[in-house]
Amino acid sequence: MSNDWYSDFVNSSFGKSIAGSVGLPPVPRLRRYEPGQPLLSGPALLGTATADGRVAKVVRSLLTDLGIEVHDDPNAPVGGGSSSSKVAAGIVDATGLSGPMDLAEVQAFLTPVMRRIGPSGRVLVIGDVPAEAAAPAVRAARRALEGLVRSAAKEARYGATVNLVHVADGAENDVESTLRFFLSSRSAFVHGQRLDVGTVPGFSGSSQHVDWDKPLAGRTAVVTGASSGIGAAAAATLRRDGATVICVDVPASGDALARTANDIGGSALQLDITADHAADTLLEHARRHGGLDVVVHNAGITRDKLLANQDRDRWNSVIAVNLESQLKINDALLSSDVFHRGGRIVTVSSMAGIAGNRGQTSYGASKAGVIGMVDATAPLLVEKDATINAVAPGFIETDMTKAMPVGTREAGRRLSSMTQGGLPVDVAETIAWFAQGASYAVNGQFLRVDCQNYLGA
Amino acid sequence: MATTSSSASSSRSLPRRAAIVGANRIPFARSNGAYARASNQDMLTAALDGLVARFGMAGEHVGEVVSGAVLKKSSDFNLTREAVLGSRLAAATPTYDVQQACGTSLQTTLLIANKIALGQIEVGIAAGVDTTSDAPIEVNEGLRSVLLAANRAKSTAGILKALSGLRPGQIVPEIPANREPRTGMSMGEHAAQTAAAWQISRRAQDEIAAASHQNLAKAYDRGFFDDLVTPYLGLTKDNNLRADSTVEGLAKLKPVFKPAGYPDTEATMTAANSTPLTDGAATVLLASDEWAAERGLPVLAHFVDAETSAVDYVHGGEGLLMAPAYAVPRMLERNGLTLQDFDFYEFHEAFASTILATFAAWEDPIFCKEKLGRDEPLGSIDRSKLNVVGSSLATGHPFAATGARIVPTLAKLLHEKGSGRGLISICAAGGQGVVAILEA
Amino acid sequence: MAVETLDGPPTLGLLYGRALLTARSGGATLPDRRLDLPGVRIDADAVADYAHVCGFGVGGVVPPTYPHMLAFPLQMRLMTDREFPLPAPGMVHLRNVITQARPPEVGEPLRVAVHADRLAAHPKGAQVDLVTAVVDQDDAEIWGSRSTYFVRGAPAPEGADGADGVPAAPPEPDPHVGRLPHAIWTVPGDIGRRYAAVSGDVNPIHVNGLAAKAFGMPGVIAHGMWTKARALAALAGRHGPAFTVDVVFRAPVRAPSKAYFHTAAVDGGWDAKLVSTKGKDHLLLTLRDA
Repeated sequence: MSNDWYSDFVNSSFGKSIAGSVGLPPVPRLRRYEPGQPLLSGPALLGTATADGRVAKVVRSLLTDLGIEVHDDPNAPVGGGSSSSKVAAGIVDATGLSGPMDLAEVQAFLTPVMRRIGPSGRVLVIGDVPAEAAAPAVRAARRALEGLVRSAAKEARYGATVNLVHVADGAENDVESTLRFFLSSRSAFVHGQRLDVGTVPGFSGSSQHVDWDKPLAGRTAVVTGASSGIGAAAAATLRRDGATVICVDVPASGDALARTANDIGGSALQLDITADHAADTLLEHARRHGGLDVVVHNAGITRDKLLANQDRDRWNSVIAVNLESQLKINDALLSSDVFHRGGRIVTVSSMAGIAGNRGQTSYGASKAGVIGMVDATAPLLVEKDATINAVAPGFIETDMTKAMPVGTREAGRRLSSMTQGGLPVDVAETIAWFAQGASYAVNGQFLRVDCQNYLGA
Repeated sequence: MATTSSSASSSRSLPRRAAIVGANRIPFARSNGAYARASNQDMLTAALDGLVARFGMAGEHVGEVVSGAVLKKSSDFNLTREAVLGSRLAAATPTYDVQQACGTSLQTTLLIANKIALGQIEVGIAAGVDTTSDAPIEVNEGLRSVLLAANRAKSTAGILKALSGLRPGQIVPEIPANREPRTGMSMGEHAAQTAAAWQISRRAQDEIAAASHQNLAKAYDRGFFDDLVTPYLGLTKDNNLRADSTVEGLAKLKPVFKPAGYPDTEATMTAANSTPLTDGAATVLLASDEWAAERGLPVLAHFVDAETSAVDYVHGGEGLLMAPAYAVPRMLERNGLTLQDFDFYEFHEAFASTILATFAAWEDPIFCKEKLGRDEPLGSIDRSKLNVVGSSLATGHPFAATGARIVPTLAKLLHEKGSGRGLISICAAGGQGVVAILEA
Repeated sequence: MAVETLDGPPTLGLLYGRALLTARSGGATLPDRRLDLPGVRIDADAVADYAHVCGFGVGGVVPPTYPHMLAFPLQMRLMTDREFPLPAPGMVHLRNVITQARPPEVGEPLRVAVHADRLAAHPKGAQVDLVTAVVDQDDAEIWGSRSTYFVRGAPAPEGADGADGVPAAPPEPDPHVGRLPHAIWTVPGDIGRRYAAVSGDVNPIHVNGLAAKAFGMPGVIAHGMWTKARALAALAGRHGPAFTVDVVFRAPVRAPSKAYFHTAAVDGGWDAKLVSTKGKDHLLLTLRDA
């Protein structure tokens, strides 16, 4: 936005007056992605916990190719400054741990990193997949990293994030899109999370010849529930990254849907995704564009009732829209040539499906259900070089959260480690990353976009 | 042009047929209701934007957009162009306006289809719009004379002198009425005469009306309009629709139009078997097969032929809305078809009695002999193929938008069926009619 | 800053009356107070009336200048208080910046919050900013604006200039447009009354020639926000739903009059100017998509 004076001004005087009046901690302003933005805004620290680290060299070559200043020593003076100068990222390759004793090396590297990580900086821990280790000591050490990261995330300030990436044995050359996501501001609201790369065997794909400013160029995407909120943001973000977007929503939301589609030069498809013909209609529409590469299952409804007051119709309507429709459409995709080789399915889950939420037994069931769907579908997609992943928004400001009671909403917003709710675009960035061709090794994953907001559990 | 009666319409030697690719309209709203604050331009722009979204055409050029409105302010002389400039279509899209009363947007469809058939354009949008809520109000003739005189005056004194001729009664504005200038009768009064002449029963009319509502409701329920209609100003369906309409219920309504000159005939026409005043806009996307294929777009149906006719309802003793009764036989003959060679009949229900009178005329040997010069009557149609997803009695009838509602409705029905032929008939004020054939 | 929550929108006519008739104490500092009006819902008919006066279409989208209609009564309420340092009648709008994150929706519950700041000296008087936030049910600011008002001849209160810890205003918009106008506006003689009718802004300089002259105007002038609205209506459909539009109002637009409107598509948005037939700038506009 050109007029930063304006937004700064509103933020400082008006925003502060609101915050002050309710006694809230300061709200960091998160760096969010814009096309052309450099991967990191400053130097990076890159450490290795063991001599067996497999991934550091891949990280190093990525960063140096991009002209980023990289130091091995976490106390190194950077950018012509001192050993306490701020850094944009601290990355530690913690693969090859032989037991809990090795964790001290991770601590030794991260301690200075946590002191000098800059605003919206990135702390990334890279580890082995625990399940790939048989020895109890090794698996314990690998698993320990998750607790370290989730706790460190609660200590990070000023919009810095701390995340963990597990890289399966042999997948160390398949991590570029994942590194780029977690280091860039596309992951602004992903914090204290873990993601596994290469854990579903048989994947294939390439990160060569990717235009990283338009990673979805030439691809066609469908977004359901696209008339507003996360769906509209996902449609706009996929378009920004180069995709042609088919925007889907129920006919009753058609006017807002048409605006979303026209704003991004996409097409609008008014469709009740629970209808019997829904999958066929969707595939038929996609034929216009020569087929389909990306499907984003975002449409969802809530019909909240305490379980004690629940009735079958309400229950069924939620399960039908949020879960059954996705299963039916996925079946149709798997058996259709319209869904291209190398396709991507992304489904939107919810914190309610992970932690539960009072009054949301049906919604929570449906959103936990989609995680099961992702688990079981991931191996089925391998033969098409396709992937399926889930994103779980925490407290994201949308029309649907407006239906929440005020107390719950406020609590939700303030519980996150960033003391703020996410924006629809934060979820959209994660969706767009899953949708990239270069994310071929990321399959069967679910990622929370919630800054550790753990509402209800 | 060489025509033979032995083969079907395909023998007519147009270079190619225009394809109906898709459509969009806004829900139709009863007068002075949901769209009371919207102008023709607003509604047409909204309908165009929905079409643009449906086909991903933001920023695209189309060969031509042709539209029109019956009730139009003088400042709307370039209504279609203004709507296109405010829409998401490329600003460099040419347009023109057409007005042929209720036949307007079937005529605009024909105009676009012909240019596509002749290879002059590859793609075009036919549309129509009307508002009875934001209708132009004219000053009455007396005030108009005074104001024009004042405008011509050269001096202040002259202006004052001209204005001094003003009388209080002249200030009352004239709201356009649905009235024929040459007969002084409203369309309903005309239709009532025709209904009486053909002895159309009240019950038959109410059956048409009830079926229209029931069919429209069913079509909405099965999602038929999901890719034909986009909500506007909070309306998601035509708000004239009464899904629970029954013949018994409609029988209770009082007749509103008395047939002049038939003192002994009972009035049969009610608010339910006559179309209400309605606001709305509708658009149709037509293209060459090649244009559609390049974009992977479906061809719902092809525009085969059309005929426009007029009758002398002033002195010639024919009913105001009977022109289609003459147009259809001529078009059938040219295409080597009979009235029974159709899978769907889409007849604009200006009044239930209008289409019943038309059917009666075609079944009547005397009418067919004397008026049409045929030895045999055209015969009957299979009523189960008539207006199967509802028509104007249920949707409402924004005059100029009705053709662009009916064309895609029929095209989609034919596309759903897979193949077949449909007949469209629309009667219009001034004793005119526009009819057309579509094939899939 | 104290927050005063209102039950309903203040009535503008009464506020102007009060401003004209009551003696002012004219405090030297701005009130440290924010007015909050919760539960505001945009009315579809009011939007349609506004759209008709300003040249917007009637569709599902609320015009980007419309939320000013919600904010203005609150601004007036603040400015007509006895202790407000500047008098409201005769106030002239100098600049208005709107940042829209998304268009507000008809019927959606909104909270409108207004406060004053940046009381500053002006070469010919004093100026003050009125800052508005339109906040949705999730406390997300979906629309914000900053209006700078000027009062001719008003003494600039002591110490209230750019040096007083008050951030200086950013550079004024500098639109680059071609020599040829894209439109000639015919500003109707009654536009002040018509805009007053839909906005409630019955500032005498817009509705009464004698009053306008009394406040140093050449005659009745069009509302600045009407000219901004009309300019944005001309750009409707040609920018995204999220953007910042910065406008400075220069020479007042007399009603009736004619003026030349110049536009230019630039990288990331639009530049526009409204210029009098004699070449004086009326309005300078830059619009940048977010």
